[in-house]
Amino acid sequence: MSDESSVRQPSNAFRVKGITVLTTAMLTFIPFWKAAAIVLCDFGSSAFYTGGIAMLAFGSAFPWYVLGIMLLSGPLLMMYIEACSLFTRGGIFPVVNAGLGETMAKAATASVLFDFMLTGPISGISAGQYIVGFVNSLFEFFNINFALPNNIVAVIFALAITLYFWWQNIKGIEDSSDKSSKIIQFSIAACLILFIFAIITLIQRGNIELPPLKPQFSKASLGFAENMSFMTKIGYIGVLMAFGHSVLALSGLETLVQVYREIEYPKIKNLQIAALIIFIFAFVFTGGLTFLSSLIIPADLIATKYSENLLSGLAMHVNAPHIIKLVLQAIVVIAGILMLSGAVNTSIIGANGIVNRMAETGILTDWFRKIHKKYGTTYHIINTVCIAQIIVIIASRGDISLIGQAYAFGVLWSFVFEVLSIVVLRFKNREQKREFMMPFNIKYRHYYIPVGGFLVVVIVVLLAMINLITKKTATISGLSFAAVLFIIFHISQRLNAKKANDIFEEGHREKLNRTNVDNLAAALSGLTGESRVLIAVRNPDNLYHFETVLKNLSDERTDVIVMYAKPIDNWSVGKTAGVKAIDDSELFSNVILIAENYGHHVYPIMVNSNDPFYAISQVAMEAKAKEIVMGVSASYGANDQLERIVMAWNVLQNGKEQNPIVAKILWEGREVSYKF
Amino acid sequence: MLTQEENNISVVLNEKRIFIINNNISKTDLIASLVNAACDEQPSIDKEEILSVVLKREQGISTTLDTGLSIPHARIDDLNSFEAAAAVLPRAITDEYGLQIKVMFFFLSPSGSVFFPQHLRLLAMLAKKFSVSFINELVLCADKKEIVRKILF
Repeated sequence: MSDESSVRQPSNAFRVKGITVLTTAMLTFIPFWKAAAIVLCDFGSSAFYTGGIAMLAFGSAFPWYVLGIMLLSGPLLMMYIEACSLFTRGGIFPVVNAGLGETMAKAATASVLFDFMLTGPISGISAGQYIVGFVNSLFEFFNINFALPNNIVAVIFALAITLYFWWQNIKGIEDSSDKSSKIIQFSIAACLILFIFAIITLIQRGNIELPPLKPQFSKASLGFAENMSFMTKIGYIGVLMAFGHSVLALSGLETLVQVYREIEYPKIKNLQIAALIIFIFAFVFTGGLTFLSSLIIPADLIATKYSENLLSGLAMHVNAPHIIKLVLQAIVVIAGILMLSGAVNTSIIGANGIVNRMAETGILTDWFRKIHKKYGTTYHIINTVCIAQIIVIIASRGDISLIGQAYAFGVLWSFVFEVLSIVVLRFKNREQKREFMMPFNIKYRHYYIPVGGFLVVVIVVLLAMINLITKKTATISGLSFAAVLFIIFHISQRLNAKKANDIFEEGHREKLNRTNVDNLAAALSGLTGESRVLIAVRNPDNLYHFETVLKNLSDERTDVIVMYAKPIDNWSVGKTAGVKAIDDSELFSNVILIAENYGHHVYPIMVNSNDPFYAISQVAMEAKAKEIVMGVSASYGANDQLERIVMAWNVLQNGKEQNPIVAKILWEGREVSYKF
Repeated sequence: MLTQEENNISVVLNEKRIFIINNNISKTDLIASLVNAACDEQPSIDKEEILSVVLKREQGISTTLDTGLSIPHARIDDLNSFEAAAAVLPRAITDEYGLQIKVMFFFLSPSGSVFFPQHLRLLAMLAKKFSVSFINELVLCADKKEIVRKILF
């Protein structure tokens, strides 16, 4: 017989000792309309400057080509959806890395970074130009004989807004999708009002003269082709050149890939809806308003007074009393400031995200990943991006068309690398499941030959090639910038080879906030769904059961609790034999990756316990779960696990009747279950 | 056979197979005694083999519950019915995981998959029925075997 005084009989509560609730922003998912709003804040903002820049490049034909480019955004969006169906955490680097290899991925990243380096300055300066235009309109209205100097004020505003968002990003204030939605709602309202006034004006004026189709290139817009007169004479080449000068309207499309990770279940369907909204909004907002501007504003004024604030020009030339026009211009300016400022912020966030993604793979040295002591942000990257943007703003002296000339390089070459990779992956990763494929495919044996994809590749490659010739500034600055970045990446990768290997060996690790709570009620207080499922996890490489639950979960009102019962080494009473604690950060990193693949929010918790089955039962009871789901254990086997959970559950009932619950053990193609 | 609602262990436990153990005994010896008792009407069953299966299982995953009830068990191929034996231990013993055993309920069930739900229901019923107060009541009355039987059935 044992000495009873030396033996502790654990009570029910004794089996759970310490609860940790894990939280991360990575588990917050947004609906399609918020995702569309985030993309449009960047992509839609080009409506404010594209028309003017295109007009300066090839004359009055610009609205046709801006409209045409907006049509091209449709197939590009579809290509991006296919990329998202392959990579939840996409972006240019992983996609091109998989498709074309690491060297090309580095080059592609360099071109996207070039795009981001110029998106901020062009957006900031454009916003400044709209403010100047409005203030000068007010001076005119009040007969004040003074005009603000356009470019100087625009540069000051661009610097101020860049510094503001630099500080916000250093502090790590997350970009809010709610804020983006409000900006887009306001912009839609502004767009509608402007549309109504523009249509009424056209009806009142009658006799609408459509802009010419033939582009008239300025000397500067011919670039290296200045001495190749045959190029403008061959119609199709001229058309391509005009499209090349309008392509900056597509800037910001990459944001769609960045935002995909955050989209809620069903992810691809929601992404498709978001892409449709983006396409319609961009076509109407950028294409439509640019077209209406060309019909309403006299051509000479577009080239002179309104080349840098085209939509203000539209507001000021509709048929309405002057005061109403001023109000319209004010609305346009507010929408412009909001969207363009959003684009400045997105450019910093985007560049920071892309460089971080590269740094995570070990390609960049630790210098880039250095964390700010107080705010925990990667401040070296943010500082570098913002310094580069400030240099661009100052160097441009507020000349928006100069930046516009350079801008298209990054936009186009990132498309080239990305769409080419997507097409290559059709053959390279043909077995990888795609929830969405770019339309127009021919099935041949095991392949879906992407005819539609090939066409998109041909179009963007042609545009990129023609831009290399016609956009001198873009070619020189873009190639130089990309070459410098590529060399930095290359040297950094060599210096960091050992670290990269360690990162690869260790695998992905998510940053998790850990909050210790006193009791299970507090740990589960965040549950709001009508029903709950408890999923017990332990092995980072055995999460089939967790994935199966998420795959089959169509009910958004069900809370999914993901629980790890962590065995405690120095707690021997009643301890289950042979169970050792595992690396919980690896476990939950994998849980988060799976959750974001399906876009389902989950509640990760970790309880310290000497018996996982008691702990699982206790948490399930407290949560009033309708299901307990476990993966099969290599040590016990499914039947033994079910026996243990049945025993633990019934002991813990302690005379109180509980709600019916089903315990399930799932493994590849099999399931055993028991209903209590 | 045993249904979920059924809370009567007489369905599987013959009253001749209830023991009150007052002397010091190890967990292994106790299980061995109960294996012998449970298999007394099954001459074709290899008791040694069953004992080794049960002991091996106990090493991997203990069947001792917090209440003081231990439920060693096994699923056997050549069996067509449930066989059980139980022991009340007024002088509790301590298992290898530091838990006290005051009552041990040993049972064998047929291994066929159709019997597995019944097997689980029996475990559920035992875990639920043998609460701390129920076990304490059994232990208190351990000197009167008749009362123990009455409480159990």
